[in-house]
Amino acid sequence: MIKELTTPLSEEAISQLKVGDVVTLTGYIYTGRDAVLPKIVKAAEEGTLGELGIDLHGAVIFHTAVSPAGVGPTSSNKLEIECTFGPLSRHGVKMHLGKGAISKETVAALQENNAVFAIIPPVTALLGSQTVEQEIVAFPELGMEAFNRLKVVKYQAIIAAAKGESIYNK
Amino acid sequence: MSIIIEKVADCLVRAGSTFREDQKEAYRRAIANETNEQSCWVMQQVLDNALVAEQRRSPLCDDTGIPHLFLEVGKNRSVTGAMMQEIMEGVELGLRQLPGRPMAIMGDDYARIDQSGGLNPDPGALKPSPILIKPVDEDVIRLTVLMLGGGPAIRGITQRVFHKHNVDVVVDEIVNRAKEGVSKLGCSPCVLAVGIGRSQFEATSMMMEAMVYGNFDKQSDFEKKITEKVNEANIGPLGLGGKHSVLATFAKIGPQRASGVRIVALRPCCCFEPRRASVEL
Repeated sequence: MIKELTTPLSEEAISQLKVGDVVTLTGYIYTGRDAVLPKIVKAAEEGTLGELGIDLHGAVIFHTAVSPAGVGPTSSNKLEIECTFGPLSRHGVKMHLGKGAISKETVAALQENNAVFAIIPPVTALLGSQTVEQEIVAFPELGMEAFNRLKVVKYQAIIAAAKGESIYNK
Repeated sequence: MSIIIEKVADCLVRAGSTFREDQKEAYRRAIANETNEQSCWVMQQVLDNALVAEQRRSPLCDDTGIPHLFLEVGKNRSVTGAMMQEIMEGVELGLRQLPGRPMAIMGDDYARIDQSGGLNPDPGALKPSPILIKPVDEDVIRLTVLMLGGGPAIRGITQRVFHKHNVDVVVDEIVNRAKEGVSKLGCSPCVLAVGIGRSQFEATSMMMEAMVYGNFDKQSDFEKKITEKVNEANIGPLGLGGKHSVLATFAKIGPQRASGVRIVALRPCCCFEPRRASVEL
């Protein structure tokens, strides 16, 4: 059965998820990858997210560029992406959305913060039909790697890491 | 605008946005035969994506790929410099129409390597790879456009195999290389493209030809053997497990060197590849 989730995600909704669950996501989500996520972490540590118009509480971060071609997940285990899972989860992010296996340390960091990692297939055309708004929120100089906010309707994803477990270790 | 430019542009858009019928059918068969629910879900998403992309003529994947061109020329046909120029203009137009992801790296040799010169925001600025030309018996000039993404390029490998005068040695080495590549590729199920030749260039050319002519419904025993052996690894779509890590193998075995070595080019194509379309000019 598919579980329907709406952003911002509550602590309770996340705590009910387990590895292998297929979910739909509806609402506003953020996007970012290698170039911008370390900058978001830095802003969170410095307490300047509000000045950038960013609220990470209950947030979803989708590891993708946003280009005229659309969106699609990049590998979340790239060093500059995976190292942001822990700090961003501490600052309120509840779901990291991308693809690829992540390390045991990252799975543990998610568990400590009641956050999850979900995998989304690279289905750009389908995601395009389910994206109703998009806007650049911060760091526009990064072009397609800027920090964007999307309004999405029923993106489908599968929970790949939750409660200290990973789908790749089952 | 010339008819050739329009035809090439349309061909590129089809390559980047459309599954062929044999490709759709391969997914339907795999979904029907797969017992792993998560793998079924992934493959159904990929198939649904293809149907939406075809309907909207929009990219299958946000990594829209680098255009690779394969030109077949019949013996009574001639290709002129002007035609080649129009083909290039058609590629440029097609990239804007798709639209392709802006991926043209600007700057001199050093800046293109370290990417310090930035990206050209125009999708049409992306240059295709060198064109491959093949003489054919048909009375035709036919262009095939392949859109090759970055993930498979990272996982692909072109390297020698010492065959020990035994085909199984070559097959086993291809299978071992493929298992590693498929397990690390984020976007499976794969199609394995294989070329075997006398040099790195020839093996890669054979691999390109395999992607141009490969058909999911017509698999040789050589191709089936590789597919079956890789699928024994239970990697599955997106690495989630299951019987369908690889949907098919497209192989082309070219002339071989009189020695103990075979050069093998292998590309673990992603779940949308080979993204290809053809047009007669």
